[in-house]
Amino acid sequence: MIELCNVTKRYGTTEAVSGLSFSAPEGQIVGLLGQNGAGKTTTLNMLTGYFPPTSGRVRVNGMDMLQRPRECKRCIGYLPERPPLYDEMTVTAYLTFVCQLKEVRREDIPRHIGQIMETCGLKEVAQRRVGNLSKGYRQRAGVAQALCGNPPVLVLDEPTVGLDPRQVKEIRELIRRLGKEHTVIFSSHLLPEIQQLCQRVVILHKGKLIREADMAELTGGDGEIIRLRATIAMKERLLMPALNSLECVRRVKVLPTPDADYTELEMECLRETGRGRAQAQLFRLLAGLDAPLMQLAVAKDTLEEAFLRATAEE
Amino acid sequence: MLAIWKRELQSYFYTPVGYVFMGVFLSLSGLFFYMLVLDARSSDVLTFLGQISYLWMLLSPVLTMRLLAEERQKRTDQLLLTSPVSLPGVVLGKYLAAVTVMACTVLLTLVYVLVVALYGAVYPGELMVGYLGFILQGSAFLALDLYISGCSSNQVTAAVSAFGANLALWLMDLLAGGVTQTWLQDVLSFFSLYQRYNPFLMGQLSFASIGFDLAFIAAFLAMTVHSLDSRRYRGV
Repeated sequence: MIELCNVTKRYGTTEAVSGLSFSAPEGQIVGLLGQNGAGKTTTLNMLTGYFPPTSGRVRVNGMDMLQRPRECKRCIGYLPERPPLYDEMTVTAYLTFVCQLKEVRREDIPRHIGQIMETCGLKEVAQRRVGNLSKGYRQRAGVAQALCGNPPVLVLDEPTVGLDPRQVKEIRELIRRLGKEHTVIFSSHLLPEIQQLCQRVVILHKGKLIREADMAELTGGDGEIIRLRATIAMKERLLMPALNSLECVRRVKVLPTPDADYTELEMECLRETGRGRAQAQLFRLLAGLDAPLMQLAVAKDTLEEAFLRATAEE
Repeated sequence: MLAIWKRELQSYFYTPVGYVFMGVFLSLSGLFFYMLVLDARSSDVLTFLGQISYLWMLLSPVLTMRLLAEERQKRTDQLLLTSPVSLPGVVLGKYLAAVTVMACTVLLTLVYVLVVALYGAVYPGELMVGYLGFILQGSAFLALDLYISGCSSNQVTAAVSAFGANLALWLMDLLAGGVTQTWLQDVLSFFSLYQRYNPFLMGQLSFASIGFDLAFIAAFLAMTVHSLDSRRYRGV
C-alpha cells in the first residue's frame, strides 16, 4: 500500500533520515517507533507528500508521490503532530472545508461529516469554534480531519501525546477501530502503545531503520526464533556440551540458581528444524540424559526489551 | 482552489481583519472624499481615486499578512499541502479571496459617486476606467504583499515587511521625480505602480498599464508559488 525506497532527507547538512526503506501492507496497523528526534515526523511528512525526500522514492498504491501527487494524496489522510485546525471556524465548517479540499462530492458532504463526527465523538461540539475546544477534542477533530474523503491510508503522528490517560485510551480505541477498515501508520515513542495496537513495527534510530518486523516476531511470539526458559535437574557442567550439540539451539545463557544441582537457562532456538520442534528436541535430549526437566516456558519479550536490544546493537 | 477561496473569504469576516480593512479604508476614503470633492465643491472623482490610491500602501498588508504566514506559523499548511490541491491552486485561492474583499470594499465607494451624480456631472466611461485602474493597482499591491507573506514565518514580520516594500515602491516614485538622469527616471517610472495609474486618472484606457499590472501580478504570484515550493524542498 505504502512503500518507501531508500529515502533520505537532509535539512541543510544534517541528515534527518538516511536510506530508509520500509512498506506498510494493506489493512495493517503499522507503528513507527523511535526516540524523540529519531526521524519519525520527517518520515511521515515525506510519506504524506508534505515535502519531498532529498533522494529516494515514496510510492502509494504503486504510484510515485512525485509524479502523481494528486492521486497519491487522495489516498492518504494525515494527522500531523499538531492538528492543522483553523481556530476561527466551527467544527462543522472546518470539516466541510476539509471535505471540499479532499474532493468529496458536494451532496455527500453533510452525511459524510455526520458519520465522521459520530466515529470521533464530536457530535456534541459540532457547532463550537475549534479554538475553544479542549485538547482532547482538538485531537479528535484532527483525527476527523484525516478521515475526510475516506482515504484508504491514515497517517497519524504521535496521536496520543499530551492527552490525559482517559483520552489516550479513547484515541487508542479509535485507532484500533479505524485499523479494521484502513491501513494505519502511526508514530509513537511509547512502547506499550505500539505493542497494544500494531501488527507491524518499524523501529527508527537516528534517522536509520534498525528493525522492521511483525509484532509477533519482534516479541518472540511466532517468529522463526523462540526463546525457551528451562530449569533442569542436572549440573551445568554436564549439561552444557549436550545442549550445545542440539540442532535447534542458537545461543544458551545460564541464569544464576540457588541450587548447584539445578541449571536454569535461557536458550534462543530455531522454532522448528528437521528433527521437530525445539521443545520436543530438548525434551528427547534430556530424557536420553536422564535429566528431569523441572520447568519449561516460552519466554516472550516485551517490545521494550526488543527495542532496547535493537537500539543497543546499533 | 474554490474551497480555499471560500474559506479565506469567510475567515476575513470570522476574524476582525475584514472589518478592520473595510472600516479603515471606507472611513479614510470618506475623509478624502469630503476634503477633495464635497468641501472643494468639485465633481472630479478621478482626483479622489488618485489620492486614495496611496491607501493601498498601508492597507494591502492588512489583507495579506495572514494568508500564508499564519498557515506556516500554525502548521495548517500541512493540511493544504497533503491534500489533493496544487500549490498554484492554494496561492490563487488565497489571492483571489484578498482581491474579492478589496474589490467589494472599493465598489462600496460607488456610494460617494452616487452623491456626486446627484449634484454634478459624472462621466460613466471615465469612471469605469478610473475604477478599473484602481482595482488593478490594488490587486498588484496584494500580489506583492502576498509574496512577502509567503516568505515570512509570522504575521507581524509579514505585515511590517510588506509595508516596507510598499513604501519602497512609493519612494521609488518620488526618486523618479528627483533624479536628473533621464534613463534612470525612465526605468524607475516604468516600474512604478503609481505612474502606471496616471493614464487611467486621465480617463485613458491604457493597455500598457493594464498589461504591466497583470504581468506584475502574475510575476509575484509565480514567485510566491516558487518560494513555497522551494521551501518544501528544503523541508523547513
